[in-house]
Amino acid sequence: MADINKKKIVLPLAPNEEFGSVKHLNTKKIKLPHGIPGHNLTEIEREVSADEPPALAVNDQLSVVGKRTKRIDAIYKVTGAAKYTSDIQLPGMLYGKFLRSPHPHAKIKSIDVSAAERHRGVHAVHILSVEPGGAVQRDNGHDAPAETYHVDKLPVLRYVGQPIAGVAAISDKVAREAVQLIKVEYETLPFVVDLDEAMKKGAPLVFEEKVEQQQTGGDVGGEAGAGQQGNLRGPSIGSFYGGPRGDVDQGFNESDIVVEGEFRTQVQTHCALETHGIVADWQTNMLTIYASTQSTKSVRNDLAELFDLPLSKVRVITEYMGGGFGAKFGAGHFGVMAVVLSKKSGHPVKLMLDRKEEQTTAGNRPNSQQMLKIGVKKDGTLQAIDLTSYGTAGIGLGAGVGRVAQDMYTCSNFRMAQYDVFTHAGPGAAFRAPGNVQGCFALEQLIDEIAEKLNLDPLAYRDKIDQSEIRKVERKKGAEKFGWKRKQPGSDSGVVKKGIGVAQGHWPRIIHVDSSATVRINKGGSVEIMSGVQDIGTGTKTILAQVVAEELGLKAEDITVKIGDTTYPDGPGSGGSVTAGSITPAARNAAYQAKMQLLGQVAGGWQVEIADLDMEKGEIFAKSDTSKRMSFVDATKKMRTNQIMATASRPDDYGGFEVGNAIGYDRLGSVQFAEVSVDTETGVIKVDRVVAAHSCGRPLNPLQIESQINGGVIMGVGYALYEDRIMDKETGYMVNANLDQYKLPYSKEIPHIENIIIEQYGAHSSTDASGIGEPANVATAAAIANAVYNAIGVRIYELPMTPDKVLAALQVI
Amino acid sequence: MIEFILNDRKIRTDKPSGLPLLDFIRYEQSLTGTKIGCREGDCGACNVLVGHLQDGQMKYLPITSCLTPIGNVQGKQVVTVEGLNMEDLSPVQQYMVDEAGTQCGFCTVGFIVSLTGYCLSHSTPDYKAAIAAIDGNICRCTGYKSIERAARHITNALAGKDTRETVDWLVERKFIPPYFKEIPNMLQTIGAENGGQKNGVLVGGGTDLYVQKHDQLLDREVDLVANHPNWRFITIKNGVCTLGGATTVTDVQESDALQTLFPRLTQHLKLVASSPIRNISTLAGNFVNASPIGDLTAFFLALNAKIELTEDDKSRTIFLKDFYKGYKDLDKTKGENITAISFIIPPANSHFNLEKVSKRIHLDIASVNTAAQIIVESGVIADAHISAGGVGPTPIYLKDTCAFLMGKPLTPELIRAAIDVLQSEISPISDVRGSENYKRLLLRQLFYAHFIKLFPNQISLEVLA
Repeated sequence: MADINKKKIVLPLAPNEEFGSVKHLNTKKIKLPHGIPGHNLTEIEREVSADEPPALAVNDQLSVVGKRTKRIDAIYKVTGAAKYTSDIQLPGMLYGKFLRSPHPHAKIKSIDVSAAERHRGVHAVHILSVEPGGAVQRDNGHDAPAETYHVDKLPVLRYVGQPIAGVAAISDKVAREAVQLIKVEYETLPFVVDLDEAMKKGAPLVFEEKVEQQQTGGDVGGEAGAGQQGNLRGPSIGSFYGGPRGDVDQGFNESDIVVEGEFRTQVQTHCALETHGIVADWQTNMLTIYASTQSTKSVRNDLAELFDLPLSKVRVITEYMGGGFGAKFGAGHFGVMAVVLSKKSGHPVKLMLDRKEEQTTAGNRPNSQQMLKIGVKKDGTLQAIDLTSYGTAGIGLGAGVGRVAQDMYTCSNFRMAQYDVFTHAGPGAAFRAPGNVQGCFALEQLIDEIAEKLNLDPLAYRDKIDQSEIRKVERKKGAEKFGWKRKQPGSDSGVVKKGIGVAQGHWPRIIHVDSSATVRINKGGSVEIMSGVQDIGTGTKTILAQVVAEELGLKAEDITVKIGDTTYPDGPGSGGSVTAGSITPAARNAAYQAKMQLLGQVAGGWQVEIADLDMEKGEIFAKSDTSKRMSFVDATKKMRTNQIMATASRPDDYGGFEVGNAIGYDRLGSVQFAEVSVDTETGVIKVDRVVAAHSCGRPLNPLQIESQINGGVIMGVGYALYEDRIMDKETGYMVNANLDQYKLPYSKEIPHIENIIIEQYGAHSSTDASGIGEPANVATAAAIANAVYNAIGVRIYELPMTPDKVLAALQVI
Repeated sequence: MIEFILNDRKIRTDKPSGLPLLDFIRYEQSLTGTKIGCREGDCGACNVLVGHLQDGQMKYLPITSCLTPIGNVQGKQVVTVEGLNMEDLSPVQQYMVDEAGTQCGFCTVGFIVSLTGYCLSHSTPDYKAAIAAIDGNICRCTGYKSIERAARHITNALAGKDTRETVDWLVERKFIPPYFKEIPNMLQTIGAENGGQKNGVLVGGGTDLYVQKHDQLLDREVDLVANHPNWRFITIKNGVCTLGGATTVTDVQESDALQTLFPRLTQHLKLVASSPIRNISTLAGNFVNASPIGDLTAFFLALNAKIELTEDDKSRTIFLKDFYKGYKDLDKTKGENITAISFIIPPANSHFNLEKVSKRIHLDIASVNTAAQIIVESGVIADAHISAGGVGPTPIYLKDTCAFLMGKPLTPELIRAAIDVLQSEISPISDVRGSENYKRLLLRQLFYAHFIKLFPNQISLEVLA
């Protein structure tokens, strides 16, 4: 087996530096829409590869793309026919279960699995020597999962729930019984689970040695190679937007007003409805995996490397999956265990985490303590921004607070230092707009405070300091819809006070060029699109059908979408709002190329040029002679071959990427407005109304985009008011490792929400689309916090804004 | 042997009665539409409908199948999403598709089942009731707005619903498959008895027991309170209201008699758990659980209720307030069960109120709760029973505070003065639900709230503040 410590997982955020931008044999110049319709729409000329399809018109000239289109797979979801990983049942399948650490910090003195192995119904037992897979730190010098038991190689246990051993048995119950039979002798060690305690001198160390960064899927925070002192690692002083700028100290000296604050955000857990899990079926000729994952290829790549298999011998299938929100990348410790157990037992093994394991071991949004200071001139010009942050991703890394302070507003002097703090808790993971959500809570409250000091309306002030044209339009349209009328903070009389607030956020436009799709036209007119990309609930299947249908002049429901299987060309991982922008241009280009093949055959028959032909409303016709017309279905019946097939990959952005080979600068902007009621007797905050104005390039399917925005807003409401992972400092346990005491919003807590989707063209690709998952979630908590301030006249600097914090802020307790 | 109908099929199984219904559906019957989200009754992904014959009609209630021992569905019909599927989508399914009410889809079947339960209810369609029907379903993707839109369409489509012959009406409009009409006849052929052994672990609703001890119960026989019909009743006789220990929260909520006694009963009970949980959780379970913050305990303490404890054929009756000796320490022998709860019907001039504050308004364990029953005659407090939860190791009957109030004129000064007494008889601790100071403050505010709400002419916030 390969050494997993040497393994490098390519981060979706990391630009591919192997080659620069791609050159093309033949190019052509096309004119593409650019700007915002009704505001500044114009055309821009780009030189693109000659293989590229013609420019796609703005949405109102299209028939499928941009239209409210029902999910093509919804019928399987409302009938229960959709099979998720947890529903997979294979012949002879066993159930896997973990023995997990009952101690936050301990060494294993001895371990005896003999009784578990003898237990009736048990087929395999495996002791982990390391915890591989997922966003988890490993001990230095440890190898990949050992097939044999080496007591000297047993890992140090660093959090409650860390996997120690796994069992595969004929039923879930027998597996659990066997786990109970494993005898372990522990040597317990001092531990620390609290951020502040962990930073103190003399705090129990989580890692004795320097930790090398190992992460998957879009974590943001302490950079690899940064310093490490005690439990503190870092600082990161830059991001892919660059390093420090200007002279911050001088900037403050030249400022007329300086505002600062210490903000804190809590640990949030992902709470996807389907837990992490895998079914592994090890056969001599093929390892087949069913995974609840956001990236089929990341699971395949992890397992191929760990088990020394060629990529061709690992197949990962994710037909339906029950949500991820950033935590479901890579094989995971459970995935590796399931494969080991399957290999050992010769049976397929299903290993789904239970809710408690999910809450404690499968990732979370790290907490933060942010010291943010901003200096401004009397006219409001930002002079200096200084940010220091600490956060803990437990034994993992990536507790940064993102890039909003660095990048949302124009400020020539900027400095930041972001630190990771190790604690004896489960690892963090990427979580819907990692870092930016935490950072926005601090930044947008301080910007609000500056506006007040300058006696400016918060929106008018942002108009002054924000260069983004998209957000300008969002502020304007949002304010109109919201009925924005500034009022004095705390001016409501009565016990229940109302307030309004606004906040904005952004997320970079990230593209994975390793995104490919095949389009196949079959005799008889059926059309398929195939890709390894997965639909994690965002609606990827439907937008792929729309894009292909638009190109072929068909309806979305005419297209069969086969995705979520590494048998097909690799798709992007679905995280960081990369999916729509990465895979839809590949899909359209493949459809276009398949279409050209079909039209080539038709053109030969009709003795016309291909360029004279087009497809529309299920027909192929010659533009020069309208009598030449044939249905798409009839045309396919005459195809020379049974199938026409074309595969395309995501080309570079038209005009090239701005950062590396992955990132575009025109940010996915969002402006959210909130109205709240605060009961000043009980401290209870109720969010009454949210207006969310968003952009995601060309909107492909407004019905799905609205739902994504609403979901982001409600996740933000949960983050603002309810959700909080609570660790017991005395025992190191998570107190609320369930969905009872870990509070999510339910149907009765839902405010009125209105959406505004700004159609915006950047001429970046053949679809010019972007994702919406992350931006939907960035600004909500900050907008609510600003509204709470407006209601009660006192700021709350810590999330979640629970009733006791409100009353404490009002100084009644 | 347990017998019931699963969708349209008769099931006979020798599985132990303690096996969770969810496991039976998924593993024994391979019906995987019903999902496992949390296994603790919090997410609703495993919701199914349970139908039984009541007064000649089928009555359907959504329940969380993860917390329901299979013995509890003896003689009933269980409906999973597979049992709702027809050639075409039902309007519930169709509107969820049309409005993008499903994203990842993992929670969706639970919503479909809960919303179909709303359709099957014998009450007049009402959008608020539709939203209440999904109060126990978590969706992490959609933000619920698209589901709200679907709920509106469904409510509109139910206009003119026959609230008596509901099943027929729904079958005609293809909300449910035609086989539903045959279910009453099929049920006649199955006994409602049995389903458990009297010597097994006694299980009420199982809403806490199956969270805590799922592993220990799944292969055991359990003794279900559902199989003791004599423990499930609500009677009013000689000025005393008596409820069986197995009475569910929904039974209380739907009782005409209790609604008349407590006009705000529905509002109070909406703050207790979610619909599927209220449908199975029992009064006795809530009392015996001895949570210091039990909502129903606070409710009945303020009614100065008595409980009947029975072992074999021996019974004794004690005041509920005397039941709690310390944290989870009860005046109860191992063999005793709460078989009945009784309280004297408050006189017409009595006032009752319940207050609860939690981090999340609905479906949350209270930080502090309190209930009060107060009689004022000629401006003087003639009787007062006040309870408080979350401010000590047990649910508390505030006897010193009540004694202090008795016989004194109802004035703002008195209420303010009572706070000192109140604070002296509670002992809250700082925990996940709030700090000690916060809970003390909260109880003061809620104590005030009782009087402000019940006696608005004499007491207002302004005069108390």
